[in-house]
Amino acid sequence: MSNQLMILLAVLLFPGGVFALVLGLALKGADRRVAARLQSRVGPPLLQPFFDIIKLGFKRTLVPEVASETVFLYAPLIGVISMVLAAALVPITAVYTPAPAIGNLLVLLYLLMIPGVVLMIAGSASGSPYGAIGFSREMAMMIAYEGPLVLIAAAVAIRTGVGMGGTVSFSLSDIIAYQQTHGSFLLDPVMWPALAAFCFFYPANIGIVPFDIPEAETEVLEGPLLEYSGPTLALFKIMSALKKVVVLNLGIALFLPFAPENWLLALVVWLVKMLVLMLVGVTALRVAIGRMRIDQAFIFFLKWPLLLAVASLAVVVVV
Amino acid sequence: MGLIPNFKTLATRSPWLYRINAGSCNGCDVEMAVTALIPRYDVERLGCQYCGSPKHADIVLISGPLTVRVKDAVLRLYEEIPDPKVTVAVGVCPISGGIFRESYAVLAPIDQYIPIDVNVPGCPPRPQAIIAGVAKAIEIWRERL
Ligand code: SF4
Repeated sequence: MSNQLMILLAVLLFPGGVFALVLGLALKGADRRVAARLQSRVGPPLLQPFFDIIKLGFKRTLVPEVASETVFLYAPLIGVISMVLAAALVPITAVYTPAPAIGNLLVLLYLLMIPGVVLMIAGSASGSPYGAIGFSREMAMMIAYEGPLVLIAAAVAIRTGVGMGGTVSFSLSDIIAYQQTHGSFLLDPVMWPALAAFCFFYPANIGIVPFDIPEAETEVLEGPLLEYSGPTLALFKIMSALKKVVVLNLGIALFLPFAPENWLLALVVWLVKMLVLMLVGVTALRVAIGRMRIDQAFIFFLKWPLLLAVASLAVVVVV
Repeated sequence: MGLIPNFKTLATRSPWLYRINAGSCNGCDVEMAVTALIPRYDVERLGCQYCGSPKHADIVLISGPLTVRVKDAVLRLYEEIPDPKVTVAVGVCPISGGIFRESYAVLAPIDQYIPIDVNVPGCPPRPQAIIAGVAKAIEIWRERL
C-alpha cells in the first residue's frame, strides 16, 4: 500500500507532476532569456513561460468545423499524462529512485514516443492542411530517430548488465548504480559512440532547431498546433516543457549521473547539470544554426546517428 | 485583491501578436516584423511574441487600407482569432486609406468592418510608436480578460 502511495506521490509531486512542470517552464524561461541575450536583445522575463500558460487559460478554445472534436480536445491530455508518468520514471542520483515496478528503460522508451504520436493525431484530427503536413513530417522524424534511440538504450543496458555480471539490465536504477561505482559512461571510451548518437537524438526528440521541422513556424505555421487555442494549446506547451525535463534527465541518467551521496547536494548538482545542458545543448544550438529540410534531416538521421548507434552496440558487445 | 485578478494581471504579460496585411504596401509590415524586433527595441521584453497562427493571437496588428480583394479573407481571419482580443491599426492606411485613399479598389477606413481599438498613425509609423500602440493595446486587453 505505501509502495503504491509512493508511486502516486512520485507521479504527481516529485519528480513528476508539479516539480517537473515548474522546472520545465523555468528552464524554458532561462532558455528564452539567454537566447535573446545571445542575439543581443533584452529578452522576456524569466517567468515568461508561466505567464504564457496563465494567459492561455483565459482564452477561448475554438474547435474547427472540420475537426473531429473528441480526438482534437483529448489528444493533448494524453500527451501530458504520458510525460507526467515518464518524469516519475527517470531516477535522480542519490535523490530519487523509482519503484522497481516502473523504473524501466523500455517503459520509458514507449512513453517517450507518445508525444510524437499525440502531435500526429492532433495534426490530423484538426483537419487543417498544415496539420497534415506536420503529421507526415513528424512521422518521418520519428521513423528516423527512434531506431538510434533503441540502439543507444540497448548499448547502455548491455554495458551495465555485463558489468554487473549478467547479460542486459534495463533497470534505470541499476544503470545509475553501476555508473556510481564504475564511473560515468561519459568517461568510458566504449560508450562514446552511443553518447554521440544521443547528442543527435535529443534535439530531434524535444523538437528544437535544427530538427523542429514538424512544427516549423515559418514554414507550416506550427503544423499540428496551428488550430489549437487557449487551454488546449497550454496543454501542448506543458507537454513540451515536461518532455524537455524527461529527455535531458534521461541523458543525465544514461551518461553522467555522478553526484555526491548527500541528497541535498546531489539535488543541487542535478539542477546545475540540467541548466547547463539546457543552455549549452538547447539554447546555444538553436541560436547558432538554422533549420534543416525534412529530407535532409531524414537522410542525416539514417546515416550518422544510426551508424553511430550500430557502432556503439557492436563495440559494447565485443568489448 | 482576489486570486483571479492577480492571475489576469500576470496574463497580460504575455500578449502574442499577429499581423494581418490588408493590402498594405509592406512598409508598415517591415516596421512591425523587423524593426520592432531588433535588439534596439525588442518587443519580446514585454512578453510579446509573433505567432504564425491566428488562433494563438491576442493582439492583432492590421496594416493596409483593406482592398476589395482581401476584404473577405481579412474578415474571416479576424473571426478565427479567439476572444479576448484587441485590434491595433498600424499606419495611416487603415485610418483613411493613406496614399491610396481615392482608389476604387480600397475600402478604408477599416473600422467600418472591424472594431479598431488603437490607431498608430504614420506612413510608416516609427517602431517606438508601434510599441507604444502595443502597450496601449495591452491596457485595453486587461479590461477584456
Ligand atoms: S501607412 Fe504608408 S507604409 Fe503603411 S501600408 Fe500604408 S502606405 Fe504603406
